[in-house]
Amino acid sequence: MKNLTSDIVRFSYKNASVLALASVLSAAGFLWPFFYVGTDLPQTQLFFWGAVGLAFLLVVLEISSARLDAKSVALLGILSAVIAALRPLGAGAVGIEPMWFLLILSARVFGASFGFLLGVVSMFASAMITGGLGPWLGYQVFAAGWIGLLAGSLPKNVRGRLEILMLTVFGVMAAALFGLLMDLQFWPWALASGTQLSFIPGGALTENLYRFLTFHLATAMAWDVPRAVFTAGLIAVTGSSVLSALRRTHTRAAFLTPVVFNERVRQQKEV
Amino acid sequence: MIKFANVSLIYPNSTTTVLENLNLEISEGEMVLVIGSTGSGKSSLLRLINGLVPHHTGGILAGDVSIDGISTQLVKPGELAHLIGIVGQNPVNGFVADTVEEELAFGMEALNLPSDVMRKRVEEVLDLLSLAALRSRSIATLSGGEQQRVAIAAALVTHPKVLVLDEPTSALDPIAAEEVLSILHRLVHDLGLTVVIAEHKLERVIQFADRILYINGVGVTKVGTPEEILMDSPIAPPIVHLARALGLKEIGVSVREMRRMTQAFRTKDFLRATHSPVSGDTKIISVESLGITYAGYRALKSISATIYNQEIVAVMGRNGAGKTSFLKAIAGINQPDSGKVRVLDLNPQNLKGKDRRSAIGFIPQEPSDLLYGQTVLIECTQADADNDVAVGTTATLLDQLVPGVSLQMHPRDLSEGQRLGLALSVVLSANPEILILDEPTRGLDYQAKRELVSILIAFAKNFSKCVLLATHDVELVAELATRVIFFADGEIVADGSAIDVLLSSPAFAPQVAKVMAPHPWLRVADVIAAVENS
Repeated sequence: MKNLTSDIVRFSYKNASVLALASVLSAAGFLWPFFYVGTDLPQTQLFFWGAVGLAFLLVVLEISSARLDAKSVALLGILSAVIAALRPLGAGAVGIEPMWFLLILSARVFGASFGFLLGVVSMFASAMITGGLGPWLGYQVFAAGWIGLLAGSLPKNVRGRLEILMLTVFGVMAAALFGLLMDLQFWPWALASGTQLSFIPGGALTENLYRFLTFHLATAMAWDVPRAVFTAGLIAVTGSSVLSALRRTHTRAAFLTPVVFNERVRQQKEV
Repeated sequence: MIKFANVSLIYPNSTTTVLENLNLEISEGEMVLVIGSTGSGKSSLLRLINGLVPHHTGGILAGDVSIDGISTQLVKPGELAHLIGIVGQNPVNGFVADTVEEELAFGMEALNLPSDVMRKRVEEVLDLLSLAALRSRSIATLSGGEQQRVAIAAALVTHPKVLVLDEPTSALDPIAAEEVLSILHRLVHDLGLTVVIAEHKLERVIQFADRILYINGVGVTKVGTPEEILMDSPIAPPIVHLARALGLKEIGVSVREMRRMTQAFRTKDFLRATHSPVSGDTKIISVESLGITYAGYRALKSISATIYNQEIVAVMGRNGAGKTSFLKAIAGINQPDSGKVRVLDLNPQNLKGKDRRSAIGFIPQEPSDLLYGQTVLIECTQADADNDVAVGTTATLLDQLVPGVSLQMHPRDLSEGQRLGLALSVVLSANPEILILDEPTRGLDYQAKRELVSILIAFAKNFSKCVLLATHDVELVAELATRVIFFADGEIVADGSAIDVLLSSPAFAPQVAKVMAPHPWLRVADVIAAVENS
């Protein structure tokens, strides 16, 4: 009898397709203002909040019913707890959330599927801790999941300084992306209609896009720039030691190590 | 209950067999002790029992391990959870919940037991391990012995048939260790529980064990009664070394047996050896009416002591008696609330950087707290650079202390003894005037302890410096210390030469002293010396 110790959580095709579906749904939740054809400001927000929540639930159900084994659960639990506890550390300060660097580094080591789960669970947990529950939570959770997913999908064979550089750049992009997405879910409701930056329901895509980007640049700099600088800075400074600690954990956890039950132990070596 | 049939084990990426052809049947209600030096595979053997090895670690397993008729090949470790309770080396790492009651319920939650059963069993196990008074306490506030009892209770609450413990007494003071072991002994006798226990401090457990399994480090195992195994095992408690030194035909495993066997010997007349207390004449450390308070709790109450060069001072006392606070105050880590501490006439709190390293070497309870490097080599070169010594000094020192440590290893992957050796060589490379160690023998085997003893004695005698160590290990104190300071409840209750203090309290007397009372001998070497002199 020959088999392997359990793997770190990795989405099966079925899981991945559920995730894709949920992602499309929640992407729609973010992007609807650009494609909306009606003229009134719709009540679609309710629908999309529901959709995001449902997508989140769907993914969690799908994954927990599948193959999360003890080691993955332990890793996910501990890292989520650390990330969730790190988030409110910078509370009040503009966009300084010391959670992103750890999410990115963990996702880098443990892969895209784990990164997605970690983003989702840790964002959810930190909202529970800080009491930051609200309609925005679904969006935040998904955005964090995507950032984990993307960080885990970066090219594997980059190592050393280049790797830190790549992750630092990714940190800037992730911080910017998170800001962009958070603004997007909030923009249609943020301004009274009729200002120069307001969402025009049913307006032309280019017009709305232009207005949104202007809105984003005008409002978000105070949050996004510090967040990006802070995240990238943390990755650059702590990256190599945190990565090696996480990689060591990965090795010690012995994922996918052969388990062999044999007549004799030496048999294999003699061959 | 537990059956090993022709079991051999190799880990992946390793060429040495951890176990080779082990055949052993442990029946219900038996207490089996697993002994062997550090890294010999004791923990692997314990983890084979519930299938964590090889299911979670990988590896090649030949033969078959079966528990209550279930082969670990066929089921995952989780499916044996109701049969086997496992208590890890450091109970704190295994706790999940905050309070004692919640921790006890956690295991049953995982097994999905109905809540009325859970209530009943929590009460039951609270009584069984005398934890009722602690039921709503936060686990973090409990003493080491209490935590160990909670860990055992949490393992027992699911009514396992087998209890597996990895060094359950290594962090405990002699009295707490006694308490834990006598509870285990009672469980074996009252409930017919099968217990498998790995332990380095044989002097504590040997009298409770029905059989011993000895692993020699290259996979060869030997099973037998304690008397059979200890007759010629290199790993043996002082009591057995005593029996060998006296040339007894049989060996006794308890103080009672040994006293019976040595009755004739003890009645002979011996010259009383004269003890000249060893100490230099330079005052190194002076502590005057030192008081320390943590959050309203008075850890130290007006302590005064003076320590000279060449002294090796053992600081003893119960868990929580103030030993660590005292050491940390001398090392300048703790801020005294009252009184003053002077090391070489300097306030240790004002020492910084290199001055500090060359004055005080402090090794905390967990030596890895000092180690930050990714590899042993980085750690050594860093120490060389920090202390302006020739490149390779620290590595050479390490090789003397613990030979054969791979420089490419991660410090946290080393065994306890190797890690202590590394921390010690990093600290010693600065050539400090005093060396302070907090619980250095936790997890050390006899061999490593002997090394440590000779290093510390050489440090104090040859270089005329002083050593301070907090420890629960009376046998170590007997071998090593020139002076003992005994703490209770934040106060010094005894301060004197090792022989006076150790002989005055039966709980803290070493085995040789208990056997040989009223002769004032602490070590086997003392007995031999007395025989030769008379």
